[in-house]
Amino acid sequence: MDVTAGEFLGFLSLTWQAVVMLLIAGVLMWLGIARKVEPVLLVPIGLGALLANIPLGGISEKGGLLAILRDAGIHTELFPLLIFIGIGAMIDFEPFLQRPYTIFLGAAAQFGIFGTFFVAYLLGDGWLHILDFSLKDAASIGIIGSADGPTSIYVSTILQSKYVAAIVVAAYSYMALVPIIQPPIIKALCSQEERALRMPIVPGATPQRVKILFPIITILVVGLIAPKATPLIGALMFGNLLRECGVVKSLSETAQNELANIVTILLGVTVGGMMSGTEFLRPETILVFVLGVVAFSLDTVAGVLLGKMMSLLSGRKINPMIGACGISAFPMSARVVQKLGLEANPRNHLLMHAAGANTAGQIASVVAGGAMLMLVPLFT
Amino acid sequence: MLNAFWIVLLGMIVIFAVLGILFLAMSLVTRIVRPGAKKGEGQ
Repeated sequence: MDVTAGEFLGFLSLTWQAVVMLLIAGVLMWLGIARKVEPVLLVPIGLGALLANIPLGGISEKGGLLAILRDAGIHTELFPLLIFIGIGAMIDFEPFLQRPYTIFLGAAAQFGIFGTFFVAYLLGDGWLHILDFSLKDAASIGIIGSADGPTSIYVSTILQSKYVAAIVVAAYSYMALVPIIQPPIIKALCSQEERALRMPIVPGATPQRVKILFPIITILVVGLIAPKATPLIGALMFGNLLRECGVVKSLSETAQNELANIVTILLGVTVGGMMSGTEFLRPETILVFVLGVVAFSLDTVAGVLLGKMMSLLSGRKINPMIGACGISAFPMSARVVQKLGLEANPRNHLLMHAAGANTAGQIASVVAGGAMLMLVPLFT
Repeated sequence: MLNAFWIVLLGMIVIFAVLGILFLAMSLVTRIVRPGAKKGEGQ
């Protein structure tokens, strides 16, 4: 018989890359379970990575479960769009609708996407050729700055980046690191006096009719100008319309709960299944994670700088810190700003103002994804 | 490199343009709906 033990005994086929990935899988699960860092995502991703790196298991190879899920849900962009329906159904846009000017803070905070794209391209095919980053890879890495898992998956899959798995893990993981990344930047850019600025309460509720029209108008405006963003904005706003129209409560609840949970399970384990040692353990992967921090940092800087300008122009009615919430990391970023506000002034409650900017950032990140998909093919 | 610069510039312009139009559209809608809502309350 012409078969060796190493061809059917898994542990005899272990490579050092598989061992490292099994350890990384363990760390991800530990972070999720013991430290409660984004457990809803890190537990399935960690387990998927564990399964994918068992030698001879075949679960991520053609015909295997995770390969089937990848083909059905990631390569077709189905999973991120279904998740967005659930996210749209969960989001209350009222804080944003009461403060529509925060949409510009959301816009500014997407600068991290493009700044990081530029740096990644500079390091790769654009100039230095230190790393294997094509224009499409650089754009996909930049999209980590959207701080939005579904948008990151969607854009990097359509652009067929080589680093989809690393990009997705970075995008989801760094949302949990927002409380570590943002505060030092905000404190460096905003004086004590600025951080202590109280913002006036916005009186009155948004009429329900406005809340119903909002998702429809958003789809029309975004879709007609940046059509590549239509699937993402369409899914997000469909979920929001289910929530706000008030006549399909069961569908809204299903979208927020069962749909979101089922797709999260499948998406998480599938993304983990893409983390095979040979693909993941490259110098470029480490740089993807480093550039992810750069992206979030640039987002924060740009958002706060526009916040400072708006504060000046409004006669100090706007606390510049809320600019940092233009990042789509909801609600972590809003909580960071609320905490910093209270530290500077115990009577300073910025949560609803910050939430307005945060939800505006969700829309802005989708538009940014659409802009990237529109522009990159033009210049490739 | 010039390609990348154009993508950055045009990308930010597209984002601000789209969201600026959305801001105007929602401001207009809120203005139209809110007086209607107030009238309904008054009656």
